[in-house]
Amino acid sequence: MNSFIAFIMGPMVWISVIIFLGGLLIKFFGIIWSVRQKEPYIFSYMTVRHSLRSIGAWLIPFFPKSTRLRPVYYGVSYLFHILLFVIPLFLASHIVLINEAFQVSWPALNNSLADWLTLVVIAALVFFAVRRNMVPEVKFLTAATDYLLILVVILPFITGFLAYHQWFAYRWMVVAHVLSGELMLIIIPFSRFSHMLTAPLTRAYMGSEFGNVRHARDW
Amino acid sequence: MKPWKKKFIHRGNKMKKWTILAVVFGLLSAAGWMVVFAQEDQYLERLDSWAFESPRRPGAVFSHDDHIMDLDDDCSICHHVYEDGELMPGESSEDYYCSDCHSLTSAPDNKMPLEAAYHNLCKNCHFDRGKGPVLCGECHINE
Repeated sequence: MNSFIAFIMGPMVWISVIIFLGGLLIKFFGIIWSVRQKEPYIFSYMTVRHSLRSIGAWLIPFFPKSTRLRPVYYGVSYLFHILLFVIPLFLASHIVLINEAFQVSWPALNNSLADWLTLVVIAALVFFAVRRNMVPEVKFLTAATDYLLILVVILPFITGFLAYHQWFAYRWMVVAHVLSGELMLIIIPFSRFSHMLTAPLTRAYMGSEFGNVRHARDW
Repeated sequence: MKPWKKKFIHRGNKMKKWTILAVVFGLLSAAGWMVVFAQEDQYLERLDSWAFESPRRPGAVFSHDDHIMDLDDDCSICHHVYEDGELMPGESSEDYYCSDCHSLTSAPDNKMPLEAAYHNLCKNCHFDRGKGPVLCGECHINE
């Protein structure tokens, strides 16, 4: 059992990270290649300035008009996306493991704060699932895989929460936590989670078309 | 509507779904209690964490007697002596605190701070021998 744990907390982490980063890199070059094939004239009006301007505008919470039209949904969404990165990256237990592996360290969140924020993430994901089932225009666009993807994201947080509290089957809870986290990383390039790459690309394109061709704002 | 989608929101499955959820929850709770009771008949002392300034977790639980037995009375496996980064074979350091050499923060003359010293010594040995706790909460059991 210890050698299984050593594998999923050792080599399997590297495999997951390589698939995650490598997959996104391949996807990036695939997108550039297909634009070159189909619509190369896009590059004639794309500029770094307009791209970064649009990405920047959309990074500021509630700055774009459409985000102010749906404040609850965007509010939950902003909170979720920030916490999705902040909690795992600044969790004391994770930093201890990083420190043991690479001898680097950074400040950690207070444990009980991280505990509560984890519940916020779980609640946000439940909100997303309910919304998919309640809002007609979203329901129309929703397939079973969308609920599955919500499950993939919620699992590391639920298992992490339960493992931290050591309520039951601790060893199996940590195994489930590690595996579900790795599953999430591996799935990113092959699912809509790849919007962590494609969303900025979309903004770069839209920002350039609106800013450089129509001389308008896209936020 | 596609058949798999229809199945997903089919109301008739509601009872079945709750039954499955109840069974899964019941099994998980049972497993949990088994783990809790399995740990109770083992004698464990909790290490005193006085050397740490503001520990985030309760001190590790540990059985010194079990370790003496499993390591054939070779104290130097844990109570080791390092000089200039070299392990001194056969020499042991039972009369010292771990924190006498391993101070809290890492420095040029302290490559192995106290927390890392504990974590590495315990976990590496448990991994190498294929037995013993290796996950955070297996030693730092909540009070």
